[in-house]
Amino acid sequence: MLFLAIRHLLSRKRQTILIFLGISLGTMMFTIISGMQLGMREFIEERLLNNTSHIQISARERFIEREEMSERFFGDQVVQWRVPPAGKREEAHIMYPQGWFDRLSNDPEVTGYAPSLNMNVIISHRNTKYPTSLTGIVPDMQEQVMELEKYISNGKLSDLGGGNKVIVGSALLKKLGSQVGDHILISSGLGELRPFKIVGLFEMGVQQIDETLIFAGLKTVQTLNKTPGQINSIAVSLVNMERAHELAEQWELTSRDKVQSWEQANAGFLQIFDFQDYTRMAVTFAILVVAGFGIYNVLSIMITQKRKEIAILRSIGYPPKLIMELFLIQGIILGITGAIIGLGLGHLTNLYMATIELGFGPGGHDGGGTRMMISYAPSIYIQGFLLAFISAILASFLPARAASKLTPLDIIRSDL
Amino acid sequence: MTIIANNIIKEFGEPPTRVIQGIDLTINDGEFVSISGRSGSGKSTLLYLLSTLDNPSHGNITIDGKDPQEMSVEELHLFRNHHLGFVFQFHFLLAELTTLENVLLPARRDGQHYEKEEYARELLKTFDISDKTDKLPAQMSGGEQQRVAIARAIIMKPKYLFADEPTGSLDSKNGEIVMDILRRANSEWGTTLVLVTHEPEFSQMAQREVYLVDGKVRENHSIA
Repeated sequence: MLFLAIRHLLSRKRQTILIFLGISLGTMMFTIISGMQLGMREFIEERLLNNTSHIQISARERFIEREEMSERFFGDQVVQWRVPPAGKREEAHIMYPQGWFDRLSNDPEVTGYAPSLNMNVIISHRNTKYPTSLTGIVPDMQEQVMELEKYISNGKLSDLGGGNKVIVGSALLKKLGSQVGDHILISSGLGELRPFKIVGLFEMGVQQIDETLIFAGLKTVQTLNKTPGQINSIAVSLVNMERAHELAEQWELTSRDKVQSWEQANAGFLQIFDFQDYTRMAVTFAILVVAGFGIYNVLSIMITQKRKEIAILRSIGYPPKLIMELFLIQGIILGITGAIIGLGLGHLTNLYMATIELGFGPGGHDGGGTRMMISYAPSIYIQGFLLAFISAILASFLPARAASKLTPLDIIRSDL
Repeated sequence: MTIIANNIIKEFGEPPTRVIQGIDLTINDGEFVSISGRSGSGKSTLLYLLSTLDNPSHGNITIDGKDPQEMSVEELHLFRNHHLGFVFQFHFLLAELTTLENVLLPARRDGQHYEKEEYARELLKTFDISDKTDKLPAQMSGGEQQRVAIARAIIMKPKYLFADEPTGSLDSKNGEIVMDILRRANSEWGTTLVLVTHEPEFSQMAQREVYLVDGKVRENHSIA
C-alpha cells in the first residue's frame, strides 16, 4: 500500500505540502524551544546546582522560647513577662561534628564530605568596605563535594592551606579594585581587622555568588571567628544523587541539625524547570494539535474525493484492513518526513542561535554565558520525532478508519 | 462450476421495500448472460447480489458451491481478487495512476504486479490502447478509459466477469468496441460474463437473456 499512499500524496501536492509544513514547523518549534530551555537549564544546573552538594548538613538555629524560660526559672508558677525572652540562643553551629564525620566516613553511599564554617565579615581595601560572606573550607575535602577548582582562574584551591589567604569572587575583586596578590582587610565584626592575601579568584558565572563569596582555610576562619574547632555546615556528595532526598530525610530523623537534599535546597529552581517543561509541552502540544487537525482535515477531504477509488479497491479485493492501511501510511509518511525535516531545521536554527552574542553574562573562563545557551540533548530530538509521529498517526487514524468502513456498494449507488 | 441463486429477496429501507422478489437463477460456467429490464427493475441489484458486493435479505447465493456470506472479510476479498472481475458504468480508474498501473492494481494486492506486467501489456495491445500505457486517465477518452477498466477487471484471469451498464456512459462507437472486448473475454478466454444492460442490441449478444420486471424474472431464455 506504500506505493498507492505515495501516489495519493503526490497527487495532492498543495495539500501535502501544507500538512508537511505544519508538522515540520511544529517539530522545528519544539526543537528550538526545547533547545533553548534545556540549554538554560543545563547552564543553571552546572553553575548553581552542581555547586551545591548533594546533601547539606547545617546547624539549626535555636531560639529562646518564652515557655521554656518560664518553666526553667519559675517552675509551675504563672509568669507574666514584662519583656518576654527572645532571640537566638547562640551562633548556630553543628554540635557534634565528629559524630557526623564518623557516620559519613562509614556510609558506603557517601563519596565524600567537607566541613565548613561560614561567617559574615566586612572586607576593606583602601577606602572601600563591603559586607560579605567568608567560608572556611578544607581544600582537599571541598574538592570531593564541589568542583570549585574548575572555576578558579588565577591560583589554586590548595593555595589556601595555612595562613591568612583568601580566594575571592571575580565580581567582588572588581568592586574592590584589587587583584590577585593584593592584601585586603577582613573584620569579623568583633572589632579586629586582619590582613589577608588574595591568592586566587573564581568566577562561577552567577553574579550573586561572584560578588559576595570569599573562601579561606577552615582553621583560619575558625581563628577569625574565635570558635576553634567549630563548623556550621557539612557538604556531602553521594554515589547516586537521586538518593539525596531519601537519605537526607533519614539522617534528619536522628539529628538535631538541619539536613537538606540538593532538591530541597534548590526547590525554587526546580519549580522553574518544571514550569518551563509544562510551558514547552503546552506550546508544542498546541502546535502539533494544529498540525494534527491539518492531517485530519486533508485526509478526510481526500477520502471524500477518493470514494470511488475506495469502492473499486474494495471490489477488486482490497479488504477494509488494507484501505485503512492506505490512509494510515499517508499520515505516517507525513509524520516521519515532517518530523525529520522539522528536526533538521530546528537543529540548524539552534546552531545559528548558539552563535548569537547576548551582550551580557559573566563570560567566564570557559566562554559560557555570553552566548545563547542551547542544548542538543538527544532526548529533544527523540521527543520531537515521537510527538510528530504519534500526532500524525492519531490524526490519520479516524479518517483511515472511516475509509475502511465504506462499502463499495454504498459508494457506487450514491454515485449513480 | 456455477453461480446459483436460491429464492433471493432483497429489501431496502424501513419499512422494507422489496427490490428483488424471490429470484431463482443459475449461471453456468463460461456462459454469457445478460440481465435486462427497465429502470428500477432490479437488474443492477441482482448483479451486485450475484457478484458478492451485496448480500440478499433472504435466500442464498453460492458461487462454485461457496456461500459468500459464510466467508470471512479477508476470504471474501481474496475470493473477489482471484475469481471475480468488475466493470461498472463509470470506469473508476485511479486518477493518479497510469494506465498500466491501473490495470495492475488487482495484482498489486498480493505483490504479483511484476509477474503480471507482461500480460497487462498484452491486454492493452489487444484492446488497442498500448500507446496509452503511460498515460493518466485524464489524458484518455471515455472509451479508452473503459477499455482500461476492462483490462483491470480481467488481469487476474477471473472466472466471472460482472459488467454493470459498461456502455452506459459511452457513445455508440465506443460502446461497440467495449462490447466486442467483453464478448472476446467470454468467447476466447472462457470467462463467465454477466452483463447488465438496458440496450436490447447488447442484450441480444448474450447466450441467454434474463429479463426482469419489478424484481422478478419475467423471461429467462436462450438466444439463438
